[in-house]
Amino acid sequence: MNDADTTNQGERLAPPSPSASSILTPRMVRRWLDHGATGVITIGGWATIFSIFGIFAYLFIEVAPLFYPASWTELIAVRVDAVEGAGQDPRNVSVGIDGYREVGYVLREGNPTFYAFPSGTPMRLASVPNFEHEDVTVTARSPGTPHRYGLGTRTGQVLPFSVDFRVTFENDVRRIEPVVTAGEPFDAVPTGAPIVWLAYRETESGTIAAALDESGRLFLTKIQEAVGGGLFALEREVETLRAEITGEGVEAISVLLLDDPGETLVGGTRDGRLLSWDISTIQRPRGMGVYSVGAPVTALSYLIGDRSIVVGTEQGDVAVWMPQIDPDVGGDPRLQHIRDLTPHAGAVTTISPSLRDKGFLTADATGEVAVHHSTSNQTLIRVPGNGHAVLAATFAPKVDGALVLNDAGRLIHYAVENDYPESTFASLFRPVLYEGYDEPLHVWQSTGGSDAFEPKFGLWPLMFGTLKGTIYAMLLATPLAVLGAIYTAMFMNPNVRAVVKPVVEIMEAFPTVVLGFLAGLWLAPLLETIFPGVVAALIALPLAVTTVCIAWQFLPATMRGPSGNVTELAVFFLILCGTVWVCLQFNRQIEVWFFDSDYTHWLQSTFGLAYDQRNALVIAFAMGMAVIPTIFSISEDSLSNIPRHLIAGSLALGATPWQTLTKLVIISASPGLFSALMIGLGRVVGETMIVLMATGNTPVLDMNLFNGFRTLSANIAVEMPEAPHGGTLYRLLFLAGLLLFVFTSIVNTIAEVIRQRLRTRYSQF
Amino acid sequence: MATRIKKFLGSGTLFVWFCGTAVAASVLLVSGVLLLIMINGLGFFWPHALVELTLTDGTRVLGELKGEEVIPHSETTAFPEGKTRVKLKIGNRDLYGLDFRWVDTERVVSADTPTDVIAVERREWGNFYGRIREVRRGGEHVASGNEDGWTALVPLIDHANALHDDVAHLQRDVIGDVNYDIERIRLKLRALALQGQDDPVRIAVLEASLQALERRYQEHVDVLRTLSDRLNEYSVVLIETNGRELSLPVGHIVNALRPNAMGLFEKIGTYFINFWSVLSQEPREANTEGGIFPAIFGTVMMVLIMSVAVVPFGVLAAFYLREYARQGLIVRVIRVAVNNLAGVPSIVFGVFGLGFFVYAVGGTLDTLFYPEALPTPTFGTGGILWASLTLALLTVPVVIVATEEGLSAVPREYREGSLALGATKIESMIRVILPCALPGILTGLILAVARATGEVAPLMLTGVVKLAPALPLDHHFPFIHFERKFMHLGFHIFDVGFQSPNVEAAKPMVYVTTLILVMVVILLNLSAVAIRNHMRKKFRSAAV
Repeated sequence: MNDADTTNQGERLAPPSPSASSILTPRMVRRWLDHGATGVITIGGWATIFSIFGIFAYLFIEVAPLFYPASWTELIAVRVDAVEGAGQDPRNVSVGIDGYREVGYVLREGNPTFYAFPSGTPMRLASVPNFEHEDVTVTARSPGTPHRYGLGTRTGQVLPFSVDFRVTFENDVRRIEPVVTAGEPFDAVPTGAPIVWLAYRETESGTIAAALDESGRLFLTKIQEAVGGGLFALEREVETLRAEITGEGVEAISVLLLDDPGETLVGGTRDGRLLSWDISTIQRPRGMGVYSVGAPVTALSYLIGDRSIVVGTEQGDVAVWMPQIDPDVGGDPRLQHIRDLTPHAGAVTTISPSLRDKGFLTADATGEVAVHHSTSNQTLIRVPGNGHAVLAATFAPKVDGALVLNDAGRLIHYAVENDYPESTFASLFRPVLYEGYDEPLHVWQSTGGSDAFEPKFGLWPLMFGTLKGTIYAMLLATPLAVLGAIYTAMFMNPNVRAVVKPVVEIMEAFPTVVLGFLAGLWLAPLLETIFPGVVAALIALPLAVTTVCIAWQFLPATMRGPSGNVTELAVFFLILCGTVWVCLQFNRQIEVWFFDSDYTHWLQSTFGLAYDQRNALVIAFAMGMAVIPTIFSISEDSLSNIPRHLIAGSLALGATPWQTLTKLVIISASPGLFSALMIGLGRVVGETMIVLMATGNTPVLDMNLFNGFRTLSANIAVEMPEAPHGGTLYRLLFLAGLLLFVFTSIVNTIAEVIRQRLRTRYSQF
Repeated sequence: MATRIKKFLGSGTLFVWFCGTAVAASVLLVSGVLLLIMINGLGFFWPHALVELTLTDGTRVLGELKGEEVIPHSETTAFPEGKTRVKLKIGNRDLYGLDFRWVDTERVVSADTPTDVIAVERREWGNFYGRIREVRRGGEHVASGNEDGWTALVPLIDHANALHDDVAHLQRDVIGDVNYDIERIRLKLRALALQGQDDPVRIAVLEASLQALERRYQEHVDVLRTLSDRLNEYSVVLIETNGRELSLPVGHIVNALRPNAMGLFEKIGTYFINFWSVLSQEPREANTEGGIFPAIFGTVMMVLIMSVAVVPFGVLAAFYLREYARQGLIVRVIRVAVNNLAGVPSIVFGVFGLGFFVYAVGGTLDTLFYPEALPTPTFGTGGILWASLTLALLTVPVVIVATEEGLSAVPREYREGSLALGATKIESMIRVILPCALPGILTGLILAVARATGEVAPLMLTGVVKLAPALPLDHHFPFIHFERKFMHLGFHIFDVGFQSPNVEAAKPMVYVTTLILVMVVILLNLSAVAIRNHMRKKFRSAAV
């Protein structure tokens, strides 16, 4: 139709000329312009609208990797001739790889062989230390410090052995050169008997070795540097401490494990038990208990931080044990079996903990390799076995790869994609038993002081905080805003209303950072001093209103004037200010009379509630302030949009204003009131600055009105600037954003649909 | 009686009264907050009187009276009301170690407001309250005693301030320029190396200019040193009220007043001077003193960039929805989506801005166009452009809704008339509908600006900082530096009020910032409301 119009008009504007077929008649130019403009506007409109949905899509894309399964790629399998054939002793083989995953090695019976990756070609070393290694019987890795070994010998000695990777740059090209060093051997078995199992650990305070000899005797040795010597030169003296550990079960020990400060020794036995000793005083080891595992223990390892112990058994079970203090008994911590991970098909031969998180790698006698994560209680990767027992396996230092050696003489280099092992739905939203806790709990504590810190990603405390803030704020804002809207729309003099409504609505534009600042620095300290008065005012106010209202009825009607005029409003202001003023004047007396002279103490002793200065009550006031205008404005609109003739009809039929209000107005406007509450709710849920500034931001699970909380939004503001790009925390904060987005979208959609329906309904009248 | 009670309850009057009280409470809360900000913010600029208290032990306390309260839990039979104490801002932070002091009223023997005490605003350590003992020039004596010292000091302070401006100019502008050029040449050299170019002539030219710049830098530093020496030429020996002395170079003084000797008009004059200096000066002492000029500048700049981004998109979308799209389910869904976007918490936009603009877009820009600066990010970190775009996304629904409202107010006859007269659709849009809808667009823009001015949470993730080393606008090409971080009034409130080491001393600054921010936001909103009302009235009369 438009086209036809324009064509006609265009013809009149530009009369047809002989060159009508030429491209540049004004008519055609105008038509193209019109079409072009339509195109541009349509594209622009859609682009804007797509970008709205794009935000949701982008948040989702950033969050999704959290729940991707881990993946695992075999890069290359290298032939290692020396270990081909069955019957190899896994105790005497170890493997390692550098942080860039460019050089790997096999250490077997004291012989290191190096391989360059990704090609897998064997490397020759410039120099190999000269030491007797034919009689190495056990190769023990020092956990926690990569590439440090203790080699146990046939003569009961331990030889410290280490591999270092020297990194040099030539013309911006990285070269990695392995360097092998052997330390001074020391006696670990005084009798000189061959060592059959060795736990070895290099710690800050010295080197510790726990060696089991052929006859089943267990010896403990610690080499530590003592400062002593002459007056002028401080000489370093080496001190050796020794002890033999005896007791029940020692002879059956098959595996030993030492922790980092060198305070605990744990042994696993062939008859399915765990033994534990306190060795903080080396000379006097103290038994800390015997625990039943149920099956012969074949592998033991600490996770990073040396708290959780992973126990692998002959039956293929993989379990995590942790020291816990029994809250009923107290005393020394005892090992507790806290979780099982997916079991292996064969006996667990080796466990390699991650140096970055609470993950670990296990391998078994059928060749199956698996990657687990303790905190999130999941097995992330399972590589099925090929029937060849795994002799040694290790995670790469950055947990982005692994090196596995099996008894078919294959050294396999894997790439591992496992960036977000901590997050599962259960670990985010269900209680989790964390290290150092007695029971599964919801905890949010994303960062700690050291690498060994176990991040606690329980989102529930944050969601709880969000709910808590929302509930208290809405409890305060809803009655004030809705009742206020009813009065303004139904009873107030239109002239007064023309002033009151904009005054309240101006508040909607108020920056929340200002409300947060006032709440945190002005209201919170003030409330702390006038709390008894405020409580009294809240109770006294309804009483005062009732009393004055009744008294008002006795005044002659001429003095009262019509309902809703300025006089009445002035009375309301007087009641309000008067009551609050009186209550604040008697603040101290009220505290003395009703709160035992000290309300914080009274709250603590009567209800067990602690009073913090920045608490949920302060938030309720501040966030209430932020949403009162929103709720008020929308409610007022929906109330005053009810067609006047309906109200007039009701009044004309003899209903009192009160009956009209309760039976007609509120019921008709209730969808509008509901959508006002929904929109208010949406605002409160995502409010950031007020919560950030006026709560203590502690993620506690406690509905107490008088302490703080941490919300999803404030948590994003606090932690996002510190979160490494692309890490688990970064994506979790995106997840928090996504949750807020989805929640507010749902709430707003409901409100919007209701409002649109209401609009069509009233337009029928 | 019982029937009367029943009738009273049934009439609902009581409920109406509760409703009325709720209105009163809401209005009271709003006006109370405004009043609180006004009192605290406007009071900041007033030259307060200095009170000198003499205590029972003979010591004296000098400072601004900041309040009085009943000591908690101090009621005794002798004092049933409880004892009182007063709070004084005593200044002299370097001597006393604290800014405020509570003095029990019962210990006060006498309180005076001596006219000879001076309040010295210093560049460091906050204010000094006391008297002058001596003014010196190097080792020489210039004037002694409070009166002569004061007469000698006043012109010296003006002189020192002028000198201080020279130093600041030299430091920031002249030496800043040299540093800027040095950095650019370094980056050029690095870029050449990265591109694998080893043209010896170009490298030699660049290195020569680098050396020349470094020589210039050295010369400027020498000039700066002589200027600084002149700044510290004069010094003043001050005594606090109990006689402790403090020697202060005149160059460290911003301003000195004798508030107790000032008349009302003089005080009013000082009030406006103080007001202006807060608006125009740079912050000092971790933002707790001085001015807030960079924050105002950053806010304005960010809002301007945001406006440029938000208006075309919002208007296009509104025109599409209202004039071009076929009204139906899809448009309704889109309207719901737009309204949803308006309800999404601002922090979510911040998260989006950080992930999308800063890391995804900014990171890509860096690898493509600024590889020589890496690993230092140029656009791959928060900056004014990203913050503005994030806020543009946040405010686009406001513009869409207001523009749509503006369009719907244009009477249908205008469109039909225009089309009937032969205009194409786009012609009638541009010539007829757009001018009519302009007030609506303007309303939307103003509301968007008001919202953006007050938002803080998304900015914290996308480029706001507590102290920006340089404004995002200067005389270096390309003049607007989109990648720079900036300061913002709202963030200033958060930072000074909650992250500064001495919150109590910083409070007045926060109130002032709050006052300015709130005034700006409210004025913007009021003007939007005025424009909207005007528009409604105009079209109502046009439609008749």
